[in-house]
Amino acid sequence: MGSKIPRATRLAAVAATVAAMGLTAACGGGSTGVPAAGPASAPASGDPANPVTLKFWSWVPDIQKAVDAFNSAHPGIKVQLETITAGPDGGYAKMLAGVKAGNAPDIAQVGYDSLPSFLVNGALEDITQHAAPHAAKFVDWQWQTGVFGGKVYAIPQASGPMGFYYRKDLFDKWGIQPPKTWDDFAAAARTIRQKDEDAYISTFAANQAPWMIALAQQAGQEWFSTEGDAWKVTIDNPDTRKVADYWQKMLDDKLVKTEADMSNAWYKDLQTGGIVGWIGGSWGDAIIRGNAPKTSGKWAVAPIPQWPGASAFTSASWGGGSASAVLKGTKHPAEATTFAVWLNSDPQSVNILLSAGYGWPSIKDTGQITNLQKDDTVFPFYGGQNIWDVFKEADAAVSSDWRWPPVSDALYASVTDNAKAAVQGEGTLADAFAKTQQAMVEQLKAKGLNVATGG
Amino acid sequence: MTGVLHKEKPDVRTGADHGRPRHPRRSRSHVAVFVAPFFAVFALFFLAPIGYAVYQSFFKLTSSGLGLTEPTLDFAGLDNYVTALTSPAFVGSVGRVLLFSLIEVPIMVVCALALALLLDSAQARFRAFFRVSFFLPYGVPGVIASLLWGFLYVPQTSPLIDMLAAAGLPHDFLGPDTVLLAIANISTWQFAGYNMLVLIAGLQAIPQELYEAARVDGATELRIAWHVKVPLVRAPLVLITVFTLIGTLQLFVEPLVLKPLTTAINSDYTPNLAAYNQAFAQSNIHLASAEATLIAIMSFVISFGFLRLVNRKGNRAW
Repeated sequence: MGSKIPRATRLAAVAATVAAMGLTAACGGGSTGVPAAGPASAPASGDPANPVTLKFWSWVPDIQKAVDAFNSAHPGIKVQLETITAGPDGGYAKMLAGVKAGNAPDIAQVGYDSLPSFLVNGALEDITQHAAPHAAKFVDWQWQTGVFGGKVYAIPQASGPMGFYYRKDLFDKWGIQPPKTWDDFAAAARTIRQKDEDAYISTFAANQAPWMIALAQQAGQEWFSTEGDAWKVTIDNPDTRKVADYWQKMLDDKLVKTEADMSNAWYKDLQTGGIVGWIGGSWGDAIIRGNAPKTSGKWAVAPIPQWPGASAFTSASWGGGSASAVLKGTKHPAEATTFAVWLNSDPQSVNILLSAGYGWPSIKDTGQITNLQKDDTVFPFYGGQNIWDVFKEADAAVSSDWRWPPVSDALYASVTDNAKAAVQGEGTLADAFAKTQQAMVEQLKAKGLNVATGG
Repeated sequence: MTGVLHKEKPDVRTGADHGRPRHPRRSRSHVAVFVAPFFAVFALFFLAPIGYAVYQSFFKLTSSGLGLTEPTLDFAGLDNYVTALTSPAFVGSVGRVLLFSLIEVPIMVVCALALALLLDSAQARFRAFFRVSFFLPYGVPGVIASLLWGFLYVPQTSPLIDMLAAAGLPHDFLGPDTVLLAIANISTWQFAGYNMLVLIAGLQAIPQELYEAARVDGATELRIAWHVKVPLVRAPLVLITVFTLIGTLQLFVEPLVLKPLTTAINSDYTPNLAAYNQAFAQSNIHLASAEATLIAIMSFVISFGFLRLVNRKGNRAW
């Protein structure tokens, strides 16, 4: 963690922040360092003479810079960052334990997919009155991930809209167009196998539940919804079966690899051309750049292939995304909300987070995010392409109907365990999703939640 | 110890203590002073967490409706235990570690004994060097060892696999049928040297006269090893068997580290992994506590069962 930032940078950051604040103030949003007179919903910014201290837990690299910028701009609030392990690797367990023990942070990094679990565990603070005025700043589907029963519990930070990363140099050499539809994708996969016996279009990452779920999400039918006061589980649905059958055929025809993504084997394949494509989230650009630096300039990004009969271009988000949640037991919900909103909507802060590779911003107006217009580290790697245009379009094409269940951890474990078994030849991927459907109904019931009949 | 702890009865008829040289009460308070720190720490960091885990295993969090309201903590009786024991994944994982024990325990004992006897034989040279080399893997933390072997098991990063493939030998270490053996290999590599040291300590306690007597009788080194040494290190052999048994039943680190590298390891691969998954991935502390308690009971029953087995017929190993 680069928590020590040279003073010059800090000053520059502060200067930029002040400039940015002028801009946001002009747009009628953003919080200023001075307590604003007027409506009760004005952002709480504490008393500079007696600052409020907030604890913030996150695992986003370089987020310290954004926290420093916030602290400089808000003398009445002092945010202390504590870096923790990523949520699924124990960070969430630590947060939930903290809430139980009464020493949780005020604000925490929580994935969209885990917010319902936090809610069911009674770990989130209702911040509706402080947060509601800011709703218009954020992309609707991302804002909705932190809203339950009409109450706001979290401020969205970033998502991972999906695109198709591919080796443009090899595609050109083999005369393959970037696939527009899933049929094109299968045809391209077949051509690649004929052109180079060591190359595959991609891997089928059975280890990666959020990825498989995103593919299902893109096909249309959501997996979880609410009906009155009951959860409805519809994992085993025609759209998802279509996706399962498609990839099953890809596996049967040996058109894709089956190694885990983001594993050493997979990185090696990216470096050597053993794998020439990846359907990945917007943050994946950094993964490829970091792990296959020698392939610089040879990649490009295309929109995710489409299913026939889709009425409009549809994408999905990898594992949803990530939010700043205000945790139960905070003594300063107003100030915590001020921080969470600023962190995720102030252009200065969004620029810092974007350059740290944290994902696609949750704000509607990305016009002031300079890194999205011109990025001298990212674009050259992708042959000069402005890849953010692809992801901007993708993020706008994510369905707002998708709801995460309060058992997403169990969902992930079930999807990966069943998909791994299917890849090994125990039943098909369609069977795997049917098994997951059954497991999730049981999980919800075991927690005492209502499950609607017939799904 | 028994002499100290043995409670001496005062004379029943007179109620008097006949001026015995040793004062039982004072000696016992001495003992108490010396063992108190140990017991305090033992209670705080060993008994209390275990007690708390067992306590947790009898409760569960219940939500209602959509789960938008705070869950309630209810007494669940044995519900969590029933859930664990009726879950095919958990029961399957228990079966898997029992199978693993059957493979791993004999391999481990034979390897450790072979290494110890080799180093203890009269012809052995550079003993200190070899002893340290065999023991060295034990100094490598389990996670690091699993990562090291993981690199050797994955085709894209392994120098071994290309060689084996070129020689036409089997080289899929992470397939559904081979991954258990791959894990057994890591465990053996890690602990055989340590167990060997335990046996060497036992071998060095054997009086030299026995060997001289055997040689006078015309015994070869091999016969001495088999008929003199092995029976005399029976106690340490039993000890390392029990340690290995307990270790295999609690298998955790190796599958956890290898899991991202293969489709053959799922989140309930071993009972410990299943409990870890419940606690840290699915935030179900109560079910995890029940599973952990079951694992402890299982280890206890199996290791003591084994001791009963080897200590029958009155010849106690230890």
